[in-house]
Amino acid sequence: MSKKAIVYINQFFGQIGGEDTADYEPTIHEGLIGPATAINAGLHADVTHTIICGDNCMGSRTDWAVEQILGMLEGKEFDIFLAGPAFQAGRYTVACGTICKAVKEKFGVPVVTSMNVETPGVLMFKKDMYILQGGNIASKMRQDVKAMVNLANKILDGEEIGPAAIEGYFPRGIRKEYFRPDKKPASERMIEMLLKKVNGEPFVTETPIPKIDRVPIAPAVKDLAHAKIALLNTGGIVPVDNPDRIQSASATRWGRYNIEGADGLEGGVFKTVHAGFDPAAADADPDVITPVDALRALEKEGVFGTLHNYFYTTVGTGTTESEASRMAKEIIPYLKEDGVDACIMVST
Amino acid sequence: MVKEIERAGFPIVHMCNLIPVSKTVGANRIVPTISIPYPLGDPGTSKEDQWKLRYHRTKVAVEALATDIEEQTVFKV
Amino acid sequence: MKLTIGNFYVKDIVFGDELSYKDGVLTINKEEALAFVKEDERITEADLYIAKPGDKIRLCPVKEAIEPRVRPDGKGIFPGYTTDLRQAGEGTVHALKNTSVLVVGRHWGGFQDGLIDMSGPGQKLTYFGGLQNIVLVADTNEEFERYEQQKMNDALRRAGHKLAEYFAACVKDLQPEEEEVYELGSIRNRGEEVEKLPSVVYVMQPQSQMEAMGYNDLLYGWDLNHFLPTLMHPNEIFDGCIVSGSFMPCSSKWSTYDFQNTPNIKALYREHGKTINFLGIIMSNLNVALLQKERASQFVANLAVQVGADAAVVAEEGYGNPDADFIGTIVALEDAGVKVIGVTNESVGRDGAGQPFVALDEKCDAIVSCGNVGELIELPPMETVLGELEALGRDGNSGGWDYDEKLGPSVREDGSIIMENNGLFCSDQVVGWSTKQMMDY
Repeated sequence: MSKKAIVYINQFFGQIGGEDTADYEPTIHEGLIGPATAINAGLHADVTHTIICGDNCMGSRTDWAVEQILGMLEGKEFDIFLAGPAFQAGRYTVACGTICKAVKEKFGVPVVTSMNVETPGVLMFKKDMYILQGGNIASKMRQDVKAMVNLANKILDGEEIGPAAIEGYFPRGIRKEYFRPDKKPASERMIEMLLKKVNGEPFVTETPIPKIDRVPIAPAVKDLAHAKIALLNTGGIVPVDNPDRIQSASATRWGRYNIEGADGLEGGVFKTVHAGFDPAAADADPDVITPVDALRALEKEGVFGTLHNYFYTTVGTGTTESEASRMAKEIIPYLKEDGVDACIMVST
Repeated sequence: MVKEIERAGFPIVHMCNLIPVSKTVGANRIVPTISIPYPLGDPGTSKEDQWKLRYHRTKVAVEALATDIEEQTVFKV
Repeated sequence: MKLTIGNFYVKDIVFGDELSYKDGVLTINKEEALAFVKEDERITEADLYIAKPGDKIRLCPVKEAIEPRVRPDGKGIFPGYTTDLRQAGEGTVHALKNTSVLVVGRHWGGFQDGLIDMSGPGQKLTYFGGLQNIVLVADTNEEFERYEQQKMNDALRRAGHKLAEYFAACVKDLQPEEEEVYELGSIRNRGEEVEKLPSVVYVMQPQSQMEAMGYNDLLYGWDLNHFLPTLMHPNEIFDGCIVSGSFMPCSSKWSTYDFQNTPNIKALYREHGKTINFLGIIMSNLNVALLQKERASQFVANLAVQVGADAAVVAEEGYGNPDADFIGTIVALEDAGVKVIGVTNESVGRDGAGQPFVALDEKCDAIVSCGNVGELIELPPMETVLGELEALGRDGNSGGWDYDEKLGPSVREDGSIIMENNGLFCSDQVVGWSTKQMMDY
């Protein structure tokens, strides 16, 4: 049985009309209209339907338009959903991204679209789907459709999808290992990059340095003498039996441990599970990572109000940002619930 | 983690040895520690010296939480 | 300094009556070799196996790999470590090519050990999956670290280093099939033709982050934790001045085999006099405190300027906080006017969405990137396991686990495995073999 596909296009490519018909409400048509014909010609699936929607309709009545289209797709069999190509048409790119994202989420089918680099659709949706790097004008139709079809066919045939630069889609914020088919070793790549850099020729790094993400500075604690402070660490300090089974690297788990009334942490009772450094010092005296003793003294002296009754632990080595962020979000409710005012994080 | 907690509105001080890493992570209040395996007490020194160092740096961290800052700041220890 | 490496290309390895090499066939008397291994009383149990490309063999926990070598002049191949100190990098050394001695724990692994597959989808993941390997599987009486996650593996690793020389003894007096000659004189007075070319140093940051002795890479037997950067001759690296240690997640590690053959250094040698003026090696290290990291970076940058380097390649044996040494050294060199290429691996996590290094600086604009330590890898069961597969999940391997809510344990009942690249033996090959490259997806 051959596979099936459905294509989304706007009012212009759907041959409804130009700018004056941009409010056109979504319709679904059996068979092929506009670019759907060219897509169908090369695709390893039959395009059974074409959906047409005006760009302004999708742009200004987004939720309603998406709901209409998802309703039209209900009960239809399709293995892949394609939208566009949208070229450099700003509203059309956003429409393609919006509907592809909604279809992917609702029906769990792969989606493919195409846009020009300068468009808002790329910025908004590149992390959510394969967006092929398309041309800036409609005369690039043939080549943009071909690129969409090539990628869609790989998905349909269950082939591995290669890197963005090779397949021609916008990077989705994911980096992976790629075994070079030419087997060019790192030593040769090193020499090539070296010669280019030293001779002032353009070169391409294999690791682009990402921009550092910043958060607004939280306002200072106003009344330190009455503030409740919580202690956290990424140095892996846990009770010796590691009850939460926190991993020694690439952690996905965290723990909170009661220190009510404790004047410090003792070796033999607590230890570190962090495997990224020599554990001897922290095992002998966990306070060198989690300074419960010093905090207790400062509390007694009235430098700050009270120490929150638990300290929080995970391991920093190789732990991904997404896992770290999830763990922090799981910890935050405990801090809020107990009225914590500020935090100290010790990292190793 | 530091960033997520600060995003939730808690002032947070990052005590760490690798200042460049902390800056990259995006911590706003940073207090330096002495090393990776033992941030707050060198086992090669006496217990008393370790305690002095730990008490001092922890106090700087606590006070950093009550200090208004305009930009990413590494506090002097 | 001039070093000649006489190569003998091993096509097959067999067990037989007498240790010998003839027409590409290395014959090993197993009993004699095992008796040699057991001269170290710490070795309680030992056996030898042969593992060739295509064999249905999985090795775990692998602790070290060494190229078998011998010097016709009778001097030891690892000066200051297995034998007396001497100047490495001169004279002639004979090498059995396409082969390595692999050391595998009979039972116990640790954070730093790795896994090798000789066939199937995992074969291409390590360099050693493509070699004819002589495999020592052994256990020791080092009770103090049996259940430790961080192991020195001293008895086993030394057994491997000594065995490598023991096997190569059979080609000591034979005529090599091929000779590689590495010759590089003083960095001064190299003639106008060479000196007009851009001058380059290779900066090595081998693993040295354990403060306890016995775990780090050794330079002429000296623990690199107690070390400040110094200028070295590339031939020294080829001639056994440095041996691998027993610390750091395994995919990032450089085995002794890697040091003996460092492709990056060979590539710089090849370009010398043609496109570059190769000045030599600045040996640095990896540290645990910011002050130490900054001190080493300062030494490297100053040495590079002193020897007149226009450019430098910096390579690190590690990830995580060692990135701060790596990035810091690149920045120090760039600030001193030296153009830098970095060679390393990334830690972008299982989902690939993380930041590549823990410290970032836009001055690091030319990186050769050889792998993702957190890449998830699933491999089917293998007919034969040398060692003990359970070690991957049980003993705190950096790429394995005994329990995971979503993924289940690393080692499954049917012998298939799921693990992070972290636990594959020297798989990121930052020394220059790597045909892997990190890409945006």
